[in-house]
Amino acid sequence: MQKIQSSLEKIREEIEGFYDQKSWHFLTLNGVALSNEKLEVQWIFSKYATPDEVVVYYIEVPYDVEIPSIADIIPSAIISQRELVDMFGIAVEGSTKGLYLDEDSMQTPLKGCQI
Amino acid sequence: MSRKTINIPLGAQHISLLEPVRFKFECENEKIVGVDSDVGFVHRGVERACTTKFKFDAVGYVVARICGLCAITHSLAYTVAAENLLGAQVTAKAAYLRTLLLELDRIHSHMLCLSHTCENAGFEAMFMQIMGDRELVMEIQELISGNRVQFDYICIGGVNRDITAELGKKILENLTLVEKKVREYKDEFLNNWSLSLKFKGVGALSLEDAYRFNAIGPLARAAGLQTDVRNEMSYLPYKEIGFVMQMQESGDIHARNMVRLDEIQNSIEMCRNIVNGLPEGEIITKIKGKPQGETIVRYEAPRGELMYYVKGNGSAMLDRVRIKTPTFSSIPAFSEIFLGQEYADAPAILASFDPCLSCTAK
Repeated sequence: MQKIQSSLEKIREEIEGFYDQKSWHFLTLNGVALSNEKLEVQWIFSKYATPDEVVVYYIEVPYDVEIPSIADIIPSAIISQRELVDMFGIAVEGSTKGLYLDEDSMQTPLKGCQI
Repeated sequence: MSRKTINIPLGAQHISLLEPVRFKFECENEKIVGVDSDVGFVHRGVERACTTKFKFDAVGYVVARICGLCAITHSLAYTVAAENLLGAQVTAKAAYLRTLLLELDRIHSHMLCLSHTCENAGFEAMFMQIMGDRELVMEIQELISGNRVQFDYICIGGVNRDITAELGKKILENLTLVEKKVREYKDEFLNNWSLSLKFKGVGALSLEDAYRFNAIGPLARAAGLQTDVRNEMSYLPYKEIGFVMQMQESGDIHARNMVRLDEIQNSIEMCRNIVNGLPEGEIITKIKGKPQGETIVRYEAPRGELMYYVKGNGSAMLDRVRIKTPTFSSIPAFSEIFLGQEYADAPAILASFDPCLSCTAK
């Protein structure tokens, strides 16, 4: 897999420039809790009809920022954005808590759960 | 004049689907004009458990518990990810045996979906017929792995059991019987009014929307979107055993049924080729070390693309296991399909998605 680092300010613009819906398939949004109190947020894509070609755009951010939404570019991203909010307690533009957890839950099950 | 609508819930428990999902339909007369979904009734925290409660060599058996139907696809995707991080490769024989169980799993999963489609059409006799015939596949799975479902067959380094010549013969016999049955189903799904005309044009997804919503699995292929992870990966021998992507164009319930029927026939052919051409060699390779680094593995589960992201740090405990299941990423496409449909068709449309909420909520 090919990893491309971006920044909170540029990620939306870069994905908009990269994503061609006839060539690239959006897999999901992923979060990886880093040991330094930061979260790595990944946007994962695979290329249609091409073996083993996966591209990951990622940013490293603290938990108190808001991640920009890409749901207007890729509508199917909306559900994984909501999952990220539930699991890591990070804000994603336009996404509310309550996909898996209760809407008023204080839990963030995957935030900093490394051993 | 303001638009008058009423909200009608479908689920969380509904006769059309024995899993907890709730759709809230906003209806204008009989037509669905708005959809809201709630899929999180059975969240079990499997991803967290995989990194806090279990060592990496046990995680393959934990993720198999995510789903009763496609347990083996979860085992496979995780195990291949772990093997990637360990720098290990399995023997050709192990890869063939893995593929055999994966395709048997696809056959019985598709049969279950088709039987529920019949049930939603009020064709109870056909529902029971398919469920009865499905036992032929379940029997093979039990003989190979020791279990009907939740078979812990795949392990890091290979598989846990070999098949004997006698068992190979039994597999071929049962597959021949299933193949004959599937030809009969196909005739019914093509020509029986309850299963063909009733479903043609209902619950359709256009090719454009399939691209827009990143549709996957039979849902995408029924709409003409050529995507199947078996065609986009190299760690299983699909090119050698006769995999052919099955396509339709109309994107409706009927097209989804036909894709599944064609895929069952292709899977039977592939299983036959595996049993007849099984390579010689060991079924398991001893692998040492601890996973280090990160990897992504995709596999085409019966409902579509399954993805595992695994990150290891060189110890026995993993940093992250991310599981993206087929139904989870299809929820936005499901909601789009419901718009403009008659509420009365909603249960049949839902069943045609073949959703797995156990996987989705994990």
